[in-house]
Amino acid sequence: MSLIIDVGMRISLILGLLTGLSVVVLSLVWVERKFLGRIQMRMGPMVVGPYGLLQPVADAIKLVAKEDLLSPWVDRIVYWVAPLAVFIPSFMIWVTIPISRDIVIRNMDMGLFYIIAFSVLSIVGLVAAGWASSNKYAVLGGFRAAAQLISYEIPLIMAVLGVAMLAQSLNLQEIVNQQDTYVYALVQPLGLLIFFIAGLAEIGRTPFDIHPAESEVVGGPFVEYSGAHWSIFFLAEYINTFAIAALTVLLFLGGWLLPGLSGGAITTVGIFVFFAKTYLVILVIFWFRGTYPRLRIDQLMSFGWKMLVPLSFINIILTGCYMFYGWPAWLMSIISVTILVSVFWLVSKRMNNTKKEYTVHIYKPESSEVKNAG
Amino acid sequence: MVDQDINKKLDTVQMMVNMGPQHPSTHGVFRMVLAVDGERIVDVEPHIGYLHRGSEKLCEGEIYVQIVTLFDRLDYLSNLNNEMVFCRAVEKLMDLEVPERAEYIRVILCELNRVASHLLFIGTFGLDVGAMTPSMYMFRDREKIQSLFEAVTGARMMHNYIRIGGIKNDVPEDFDQRMRSLIVELKKGLEEADKLLSFNEIFLARTKNIGTMSAKMAIEYGVSGPSLRASGVPIDIRKDHPYSIYDRFDFGIPIGEVGDCWDRYYVRLEEVRQSISIMEQALDQLPDGDTITPTRFLLRPPKGEVYVRGENPRGEIGVYMISDGTDKPYRVKVRPPSFCNLMTIKDLLIDTYIADAVVILGSLDIVLGEVDR
Amino acid sequence: MLGNLKGLLVTLSTMLRKPVTYQYPKEHKPIESRYMGFPVLMWDSQISEPYCTGCMVCVRYCPTQCMTAVMKDNPLHAEGVSKRRKIVDSFEINFGRCIVCGICVDVCNFDAIEMSHEHELSKYARNDNRSDLTRLLEMGRNYQEETGWEPKTNAKESEGEASS
Repeated sequence: MSLIIDVGMRISLILGLLTGLSVVVLSLVWVERKFLGRIQMRMGPMVVGPYGLLQPVADAIKLVAKEDLLSPWVDRIVYWVAPLAVFIPSFMIWVTIPISRDIVIRNMDMGLFYIIAFSVLSIVGLVAAGWASSNKYAVLGGFRAAAQLISYEIPLIMAVLGVAMLAQSLNLQEIVNQQDTYVYALVQPLGLLIFFIAGLAEIGRTPFDIHPAESEVVGGPFVEYSGAHWSIFFLAEYINTFAIAALTVLLFLGGWLLPGLSGGAITTVGIFVFFAKTYLVILVIFWFRGTYPRLRIDQLMSFGWKMLVPLSFINIILTGCYMFYGWPAWLMSIISVTILVSVFWLVSKRMNNTKKEYTVHIYKPESSEVKNAG
Repeated sequence: MVDQDINKKLDTVQMMVNMGPQHPSTHGVFRMVLAVDGERIVDVEPHIGYLHRGSEKLCEGEIYVQIVTLFDRLDYLSNLNNEMVFCRAVEKLMDLEVPERAEYIRVILCELNRVASHLLFIGTFGLDVGAMTPSMYMFRDREKIQSLFEAVTGARMMHNYIRIGGIKNDVPEDFDQRMRSLIVELKKGLEEADKLLSFNEIFLARTKNIGTMSAKMAIEYGVSGPSLRASGVPIDIRKDHPYSIYDRFDFGIPIGEVGDCWDRYYVRLEEVRQSISIMEQALDQLPDGDTITPTRFLLRPPKGEVYVRGENPRGEIGVYMISDGTDKPYRVKVRPPSFCNLMTIKDLLIDTYIADAVVILGSLDIVLGEVDR
Repeated sequence: MLGNLKGLLVTLSTMLRKPVTYQYPKEHKPIESRYMGFPVLMWDSQISEPYCTGCMVCVRYCPTQCMTAVMKDNPLHAEGVSKRRKIVDSFEINFGRCIVCGICVDVCNFDAIEMSHEHELSKYARNDNRSDLTRLLEMGRNYQEETGWEPKTNAKESEGEASS
């Protein structure tokens, strides 16, 4: 009896999580289109519902109602399994992400490890999608995706490791509770930047969106998917975006804590604080999408391996020294910021040396006489 | 044994990728069949002709007034420049004198058209590289230019305004004030594009030293226009063979050094600035007078042939016309700049990445209406 | 890296400006007075007949040959009311073929055809966008009321044929 209640409660929790995530994804779709529209000086969706609020619902209905085109030469089993292989890991991550102090489906002691381990699994799904479509563009996109995602896992893991060292725990609730005096972003700005950039590359967003690159291999590994299959990829991408933003907030920006908030209010008001901070980070992600062009695949890889990986190792060494020698926290932040600034300066100087910038000059031929109007 | 294994070449298979006629970044219906080894392009085979409408043959069956509408639609982004080169060809055949005011208005509108075309180039080049906002900003500015065209000529794109002997009718009274406020807004919009795109590190990494065209190669292939000037060759028809009244204005021509995609992009951006300066000078000097030299409706130019060249936003557009004395020409041949610029695509694309192929094709700024006619 | 940050500042500044969208079809962008829409026929309200005499000059010089016209003897001329000896009997323009170039307006000797401000005339079948004489005169009346149109030249007292 108690087993049935137990199983029933777990199933309802999971269904609730799925519903909640779907609502969040719908809101993200609306926010993205409106925000990108405002950046581009136009209004976003305005027709469907007041201010276009029902636009994501219309999108979902359209996607589900579309015809499911399947070429006869695709590998059917892999074609069907690939979207699930991408969606399920991104959904499983959310089992252990806390929204407020005690609101989490299952708080694990090794929560961070679980999250990292599961997020790597979606790479298999992308490659499978590219391969099964038996389309050259899809294969190209799938390989690009695999290369990109694998190489940006390392800086992500190292940045997370830095935070785990500071908090001395892999439990997400512990990490947030430890940030009640100062958030870790102040101590490890380098770590925050590395995590954010590696996270952007993990979810496949501009400037690292070479694999769905819409103006070249239109859609990358997803080019042959239509209708409901594609909507699963779409859902997975937005859930991943939300997860990376939530992780940024939890690990670096203090989670649900706000200075001046204490006691029982943390649990309830904390939800709103958490969502507000996460949506702010998401707005920054969309802002990057509206502003930057995309990097080419080899530039992306060289940026990841040559720049982010050494920086993330330096970050860990710094954190280790800080913990071992017991330096004060402000020294850590000063050293971090110094490293950041010096890296930027070195990179700009190197780029200015090898690639001179102003290579276009105005030329006025001396023989042209300016004749006045008659 | 070990040496032999090391020396044995790895067998790789080449893939044929088809950037088909329907593709978001081939700037029109243009097909490229790429032979790809991994991500490197090994061979290119371009296919054109999807937009062939038989314009030159149609010209042989229409009278001169109707041919202006055909020339509008050749390079559909720079309509007034095309009309002007055709009208100059007929005027040269007939030794027709165009009044001063008409020349000034023609120059102002042609330069405005050049600005509009280059703004569209900047926007779509940003799209090719992956940045989606510059295109929206440039279309906003282009909308203002097209509103002005609507107020002056009656149509936003296919104007049919420049006629043989002058222009169709005079500009409205608030032309001067509208132009000046438009120039102020265009300068601001250009600054936005400059700050957003030109020196962005990611953009620089995508376009610097990509698709380098040496001056020798450019001259051999007959490239003209901004692509030629970006390779370091200071040739501009408005300066070397000045036509109309271009010798009365003080403007410079931007010359690049390296000839890569960034140079081609920045040369066009600088050209917008120079065009704005030409327009300001022309507005200051605009005289009063007639706007057209009246001619018969059914023109019968004397027998002869003429070749006239003009500076399109894309390069040198030439019209070679043979007239046999009747009211329809015997032959009209157009020398399209995009066609000759596109001939370099095979040399430029070999040994680059697929992602670069899109950027290089975009930087050449071709319009398929001209290539296929 | 400075270039990257400048780009972010540019988009931040445009975020805060008013969007430039016209929400079509609720709002329309205002049309300039010289806008060349589809050609329509003008109505002479003093005599209650169209200006058009059916001389077919515009039909001849249309680059896409989108018009057809038939001429008839003018009954009002026999009564002595009108100065036009011939009048248009039927006139059809295929708006799907019209390229809105304005040549028909330039060659007309009677100020009978003008470019109106009509531009929202889409139909669902390919050759459905054709207008006959009644419809053209109705659109012309709309254009005349909207802009207060006056003929450029006085109605010429010419014979039915125009010389080119």
